Amino acid sequence: MKNPYVPFKAVIRGIGQEAGDVKTFLLEPESGFPPGAPGQFNMVGYPGVGEAPVSLSRVPMEDSDLFEHTIRAVGRVTDFLSTFREGDEIFLRGPFGRGWPLNEVKGKHLVLVSGGLGLAPIRPVVQIADKLKARRITLLHGARDPGSVIFKTEFRHWRKKGIDVELTVDEPGKGWRYHTGIVTEIIRRLKIAPAEAVAFICGPEIMMRFAANELFLKDVPGSSVYVSPERRMRCGMGLCGHCQHGVWFVCKDGPVFSYRELRGYPDALF
Amino acid sequence: MNGENTFQKNYEALISRELLAAWVEGFKENFRLIGPAGGKGEAEFREVFSFNEINLDYQSTMLPPGKTFLLKPVEEILSFNITPGGPVAEEPPLPDRKRILFGVHACDTHAILYLDKVFLGVFPDPFYRARRENTFIFSLNCKTVSGLCFCHLVGTGPFLKAQSGYDVLLTDMGSEFLVELKSVRAKKIFSLEGRPPEGRDLEKKKELELELLKNFRKDFKADGLREVFLSRPDHPVLKETAEGRCLSCGNCVMVCPTCFCHDIYDEAGVSLARIKRMRRWDACQDYFFAKVHGGNFREERQARLRQFVFHKLDYEGQFGVKGTVGCGRCIRWCPTGIDLTEIAKEMMK
Repeated sequence: MKNPYVPFKAVIRGIGQEAGDVKTFLLEPESGFPPGAPGQFNMVGYPGVGEAPVSLSRVPMEDSDLFEHTIRAVGRVTDFLSTFREGDEIFLRGPFGRGWPLNEVKGKHLVLVSGGLGLAPIRPVVQIADKLKARRITLLHGARDPGSVIFKTEFRHWRKKGIDVELTVDEPGKGWRYHTGIVTEIIRRLKIAPAEAVAFICGPEIMMRFAANELFLKDVPGSSVYVSPERRMRCGMGLCGHCQHGVWFVCKDGPVFSYRELRGYPDALF
Repeated sequence: MNGENTFQKNYEALISRELLAAWVEGFKENFRLIGPAGGKGEAEFREVFSFNEINLDYQSTMLPPGKTFLLKPVEEILSFNITPGGPVAEEPPLPDRKRILFGVHACDTHAILYLDKVFLGVFPDPFYRARRENTFIFSLNCKTVSGLCFCHLVGTGPFLKAQSGYDVLLTDMGSEFLVELKSVRAKKIFSLEGRPPEGRDLEKKKELELELLKNFRKDFKADGLREVFLSRPDHPVLKETAEGRCLSCGNCVMVCPTCFCHDIYDEAGVSLARIKRMRRWDACQDYFFAKVHGGNFREERQARLRQFVFHKLDYEGQFGVKGTVGCGRCIRWCPTGIDLTEIAKEMMK
């Protein structure tokens, strides 16, 4: 039986500096590494420092096996990875988990809501937007300040694809042309037909909670609102137990859950 | 007459203690024998070299047999050789030693069935699987009941009713032992000679069980906890117990036969030529267990205690069975005597 802890190698083919401490690594995996879907994650790391769960910020497409991880240096593993350069190799296992329910989007109004780095797992959904056959796609993104908005150069392109993009920051500063305030306020102004809306939300848990609540006030049912919670993970396979939330293993049952599935368990804001 | 031509294979037999000893001794050639040994104070599961070392009357052990010998407390799951071309992964060999885990009580047998659900599911763990396949489980029905046992309330004992997932079931009938071969592989490999049980023997087995059931002292309603738990996650008894008594030492988790959580970490040798990726039992009672960057989902002691209590007594949706097998170890080894059944009773009031 194959040892599932053996990682694959991937070569860094490009590094994008998104914001101060956030980098996007374009990765070419060794052959045999399975392609991931939007919302899935890999256990990314290096021998000696360990592994950390990181969602895919770009998925492999027909024309390319390459994918991306967007990483903020905030811990032992991510600090170490932030020192890597083009041509270096990193190690990963995956892809793991249940991604966004893309087959529920057809003919619907897809509302994407992200906060901070939460845009990273939402980005592959935008990447394959044409294939989703959604009636309409709205992306609402909030960040702390203009300097911490990631994928800045891509919004123009996304708008060209027909996606309504609304940006907001807490602290605008000079020259900010978009919204100021929290992302829930934009949701409040959004015109939504509740039965036709499907929402994918990713960001800090408190933000996911308030964004979801705002949608519930518009009568969007809990079964149409999806969130991707963050939990500590060591294995990615539902074995190590760290990510348990109620009856769920966030790594293998999620990380994407409908709000209805998560509601009611303690130790979360849902 | 027991000649070759008249040999009849029995799957159930009553044999004397002496014959049982001889039968088990005979396995030593091909199997490493692990059983409950030692009697003063607490018995412990360890390798035994003679049947006489086995304490057939033991009540409980601190460490559960299944978790200890199938999911080792610490083990290497992978290593990396650091070469000029970069780290090269090397898989440690899978354990292949044939073993008999002898004298596993009903609760602990159920705990192994629970661990099977965790480690032999969608993502089977190769180390657990190899050990499990190479380990024959000889279960032993209980002879005594402790004041902390509550298997009778959660359907896991004191007599083992599961029909599969283990190999042999033993019952001490007084002057004889009832030996039942339960698995296909046991029926294939082991031969059993002895008097086949008759109706009165099975009657006696039933009586022994009924007699045992009278000795249980714990009582709480295991059903209906779900609604109470989810509607009152901040019940004062949790707060009071957590803040007044819980030390977050993790003893409850370490001795729990179904607690499967483990940490994975890298260990570098002094020469830095080799990195070992290890796993080690971990405890949800530990402050860092659910910590991520920017938050700790169970920062409060109360939340960590609740996770243990709810995971054991509720959350059946996870694997289709309760997380507890009623062995009572978490109560017995809690330095401040926290009792999850008392917490449940208080919450049900």
